[in-house]
Amino acid sequence: MTSLKLNLGPQHPSTHGVLRLILELEGELITRCEPDVGYLHRGMEKMAEKLSYIQYLPLVDRIDYLAGFFYSELLCRNIEKALSLELSPRVKAIRVMLLELNRISSHLLWIGAFLMDLGAVSPFFYAFREREVILKYFEKISGQRMMNNYFVFGGVRNDIFDIEEIERFLEILPHKLDDYESIITDNLIFKKRTVGKGVLDPKIALNFGITGPNLRASGVGYDTRKKDSLYEGFSFSPIVLGNQDSWTRYKIRILEIHESIRIITQAIEKIKANPELNNNFINPLNIVLPEGEYYSEIEAPRGVASCYIKSDGKKSPYRLKWRTGSYYAVNLLRKLLVGEYLNDAIAIAGSLDIILPEVDK
Amino acid sequence: MLKEFYYMLLSFLTVFKHLFKRPVTLEYPEKKSEVGERFRGKPYMKGCIKCGTCIKVCPANAIKIEDNDFIFDMKKCIFCGNCSFYCPVKAIKMTQNYELATNDVNDLKLLYKIEGRENERLD
Repeated sequence: MTSLKLNLGPQHPSTHGVLRLILELEGELITRCEPDVGYLHRGMEKMAEKLSYIQYLPLVDRIDYLAGFFYSELLCRNIEKALSLELSPRVKAIRVMLLELNRISSHLLWIGAFLMDLGAVSPFFYAFREREVILKYFEKISGQRMMNNYFVFGGVRNDIFDIEEIERFLEILPHKLDDYESIITDNLIFKKRTVGKGVLDPKIALNFGITGPNLRASGVGYDTRKKDSLYEGFSFSPIVLGNQDSWTRYKIRILEIHESIRIITQAIEKIKANPELNNNFINPLNIVLPEGEYYSEIEAPRGVASCYIKSDGKKSPYRLKWRTGSYYAVNLLRKLLVGEYLNDAIAIAGSLDIILPEVDK
Repeated sequence: MLKEFYYMLLSFLTVFKHLFKRPVTLEYPEKKSEVGERFRGKPYMKGCIKCGTCIKVCPANAIKIEDNDFIFDMKKCIFCGNCSFYCPVKAIKMTQNYELATNDVNDLKLLYKIEGRENERLD
């Protein structure tokens, strides 16, 4: 049988951006998969070498526009570490609350988009309805819905308000999640398309550098939040499921939203216990990192994200490098799609939660 | 088999329930979404002291100061709000106006006059 070369993307609606997969097919069976990335390359790392740190801070939200807070937090954390700036307890609690809210909004979007890939339309609207509440709150406190630019070196820009709104939202969210689960989780069609498809062996996952929910769905309990100094004093447990397939990767994200709700309730308690906001700002015009290398990492919704800065004692970094979770997930498609059928390719690629701006940077 | 039928029924029921709820979308041109006080829309300037901080913190080089003209280049501006946050006299404000589409390129050049500083002397 002659093999057929097929381009999936770069402008396929279900690739969440501009991902191009070059597939080699034999009949309907995929024999080779070659991801082609770089359509959304903006030179995020090179740009840092020209700009000062305060100029670069608004841009890092755009690395992953669905979870911008995580990348702001990373850059802030690196610079706070280098200049040994202390964060006050209220700032820490605010940051944890916003990060987890952002994780919820990111997972909600994923649930909607994934189900859209599989042909279900209603969950998309339900998920976006709940996500809208979070984004409205972000807009209220930070000024914009996704490009927040709210964390600053040494603190947050302004104090937050209207926490009751979030408390009310957290009360209704579990019921809404039950609604999704009644439509999705045990649905016959959904199960047939996901159970046993795209099985990710934990050994392969570790070799490919997969982190985050995808790795935890393969039975490896790796969560950097557990050793994160920002999450000190919060009680939560990373969720680990062992079934390794697409369905598990869906289920783990639902459970992670429940876990995030737990963390946010604790964070709100801490915010209420520390009513005074003490920012530890520095003069933005002459931020100079001492010569040396700085590294920090965080558990982003799509896996461990980290930021590496090499400074030579000037106003802008000598080299800045981002590690993003999706980049490794795209590479995994090379392995995961081989031996699967073409009509499962979208379902498997979707289940890994790939977002392209994060891949191309 | 019966269990699967039950779940199918349950999902139809959940979707059916939503038929009777109020719509959550806005019909945009007629109804506009309300934005908060901190919203970062079209920038506005009054009372500049020409210190140049905004130029140094702007990531997109969108701000220019020429003699007594203060110019925002809206083609470059990314609405990060750095200029208004770091302005020492809070002269720059981001307004709630988010409808910036225009047919004329010249509208994208926002020019504000810097006033009241000509006659002052630093003695």
